[in-house]
Amino acid sequence: MSTSPTEQVSGVSGRVDGNGRPPGVGRLALPSRVKLQEYALVGVVLALVVIGAILKPDTFPTADNLRAILTQASVVGVLAIGMTFVIATAGIDLSVGSVVAAAGVAGGLVVDSGAVAFVAAALGFGLGLGLVNGAAIAYGKVVPFVATLAMLAIARGLALLMSDKSPISLLGSDGVRWFGTGEIVGVPVSIVIFAGIAIGGWILLNRARYGRHVVAVGGNREAARIAGVPVRRVVFSVYCLSGLLAGLAAVLLSGRLASASPVAGELLELDAIGAVVIGGTSLAGGRATIVGTFLGVMVFAIMFNLLTQLNLATEWQQIVKGAIILGAVLIQRPERI
Amino acid sequence: MTNPILEVRGLVKEYPGVRALAGVDFAVRPGEVHCLVGPNGAGTSTLIKCVSGAVEPTEGQILMDGQPVATGDPSRALENGVATIYQERDLVEDLTVAQSIFLGHELRRWGLLDRGRMRRETVEILRRLNHEAISPRMHVRDLRPAGQQVVSIARALSRHVRLLIMDEPSAILDDSEIETMFGVVRRLTAEGVGVIYISHRLDEIRRLGDRVTVLTDGRTVASGLPATTPADQLVEHMVGRKVGQLYPERLRGGGKVVLEVRGVRRLPDVKHASFEVRAGEVLGIGGLVGAGRSELLRAIYGVDGRDAGEVLVDGRPLPPGRPDRSIAAGLGLAPEDRKSQALLLDWNLIKNVTLADVGRFQRGLIRTRAERAAAEEQLRALHTVPDDGSRMARELSGGNQQKVVLARWLLHQCRVLLLDEPTRGVDVATKAQLYRLIADLAARGLGVVMVSSELDELCGFCTRILVMREGELVAEVDGAEATELELLRHAMPDKQEMLASTAVSAIAEGPNAGQEET
Repeated sequence: MSTSPTEQVSGVSGRVDGNGRPPGVGRLALPSRVKLQEYALVGVVLALVVIGAILKPDTFPTADNLRAILTQASVVGVLAIGMTFVIATAGIDLSVGSVVAAAGVAGGLVVDSGAVAFVAAALGFGLGLGLVNGAAIAYGKVVPFVATLAMLAIARGLALLMSDKSPISLLGSDGVRWFGTGEIVGVPVSIVIFAGIAIGGWILLNRARYGRHVVAVGGNREAARIAGVPVRRVVFSVYCLSGLLAGLAAVLLSGRLASASPVAGELLELDAIGAVVIGGTSLAGGRATIVGTFLGVMVFAIMFNLLTQLNLATEWQQIVKGAIILGAVLIQRPERI
Repeated sequence: MTNPILEVRGLVKEYPGVRALAGVDFAVRPGEVHCLVGPNGAGTSTLIKCVSGAVEPTEGQILMDGQPVATGDPSRALENGVATIYQERDLVEDLTVAQSIFLGHELRRWGLLDRGRMRRETVEILRRLNHEAISPRMHVRDLRPAGQQVVSIARALSRHVRLLIMDEPSAILDDSEIETMFGVVRRLTAEGVGVIYISHRLDEIRRLGDRVTVLTDGRTVASGLPATTPADQLVEHMVGRKVGQLYPERLRGGGKVVLEVRGVRRLPDVKHASFEVRAGEVLGIGGLVGAGRSELLRAIYGVDGRDAGEVLVDGRPLPPGRPDRSIAAGLGLAPEDRKSQALLLDWNLIKNVTLADVGRFQRGLIRTRAERAAAEEQLRALHTVPDDGSRMARELSGGNQQKVVLARWLLHQCRVLLLDEPTRGVDVATKAQLYRLIADLAARGLGVVMVSSELDELCGFCTRILVMREGELVAEVDGAEATELELLRHAMPDKQEMLASTAVSAIAEGPNAGQEET
């Protein structure tokens, strides 16, 4: 804990714990910060729905529109779940947008061998790039920001290189398009997959040793290490997970667009990081919430659906998005100095 | 009798639902060291925050030179010559000594920094403190902890200081460094500065203090006692009843060897260390800060690697640099700094306790109910307050945080506990509790290794004591026969032999006694 020197001399200390803090005072009686943020987000989602229903009563509160929103959200959603694990370790993965493009193109190259080959190639390529990220960060000790920024460029370059700079049509593969247009008991496939990943992510984070280790590494690396947590392996693994889920996002996106484009997925990393952060996961690590991330994804998805219906230009949507993320981070400033 | 510099009358501070201070009276005379003692949570910190203006008292008066002063105004307190030095080192390590001392009130000429004058004044202040060896151009990071503290004190002096408040200044210092700091304090009191000195170490009161005030539950239970008051009387004041022995009965040890350390080396801190730990003993490791004791524990445990040597638990060698394997073999480490190395402060107690062993509750998913039950059982067994597992680690006092760390290793049923300064920053009453816990654990068949800078506690109940000096184990002393003087003599490098005897006899005339190399 650092106190600014000026404060020290004058006796104004930033210390919050220790003898001076009376027992029974503080956050004890309140729900945790994470919980509060989740309640607030539920409120935001509801408010958006109400506003949408009032402004666009014919087109907004409809089953079709809900379906559209969720389908839209599924790509970012899958990425954001992976990003939650990365950020929980106090890391960041800036490369996911590019990895989505590269993984999609990798699948597109083998789509003639069937949808299974497409999926395997996309997942495998995403995992492979994530593995490079993880190795550089966990074992090469490169700062996550730099390593994944480099990968952002590399993966985009690979996507352009492998596709010869032009989109690969997937119209011929019904199997791939099933991920974009198919349904499982009436629910679009991409929504089912997103839901599955979200639930799986929640279980992994909250009810498995692995998740405990992930958050411990972000919360206090040294303490985690002394408690026997295999810190490097954990760090390595979250980038692999993020890469794998980027591959999955590529499958969903290509299925919907029926093409694998080397310029797909631009700025998806912003959407994913933004959703995680407004969800309440701490960028400093040690605090993570899948429910929050899900709600964060939904806030963005509903808001942009609404803004689009209100004919707000995408440039403006971009600015609004950035402003929301900035605002969320400002609110999330650490309570102690 | 001189008039007091500071007088506190009937001070009350209420927080919603809690009375942190419930009537405090005491006075500080010029030139005296007035010690404040009390268990954690007694209100000492709130009290000094009231005096330094950081906190506005609910009731009561603070008088300086007999005049009531405005409360709750740190800048006024500063103008009145009140300066506070906190326990945490809070210097910016990248700054030079002169920059640190004048940080926030830099001297200027024509709008630009007057670096020459700041350096000259720094030299002047350091000479006043008898630490000319510290150059104003040195970087703070290159100073040892005691040197950094001298800089903190110098910073207080760079403003006109009449009342210096020191909150556990010795917590981060070893014995010879403490003597350095005492020298500085004596120098200040000779100039008429009044000092409020807060410490959990009762021996320091005898060595440095003039008078003592005891605080319990926000109330002064004894005000202005002479510093010669026996320690057990002070402790009785603190806990409000007679206490038994501070230290538990010394264990004989003599079980089978559970931990063997053979020729462990980790340069530059650990040059060579070989020893054995038996089940049922508390093995103390003493030495000066910087002797390599913590580094030795870390190398044994595997947080850091080893350059050479072997570590065996129950006769089986441990791979270097693998804490997870050490834990599996039955080692547990309670590191020096609980907050930064042992705990996740924003996690609840349950998760902190089970961190090293959460896999045991996982049958597919973690069974949270079983996890909570097991964690709380350990917390209760150690008399942790609170033992409600859903509380955050941050909310606990230092002594109870230490118990959470111990609970982690007990849950894991470890065989050998490595404790690094287990009672640092813990009040006396809780210390006695921790000693008993540690002894109980050893009596149950654990091997315990305890690194400590407090010679008193090493001599108090350790079965054997090893002394480390400059990276090597230089002596082994039987606990029952050990004296603080003997340990200190082993711990000091030869050229400081004189200093050792001065430090222990606690007279240390003149500030030269504690002169530190910088």
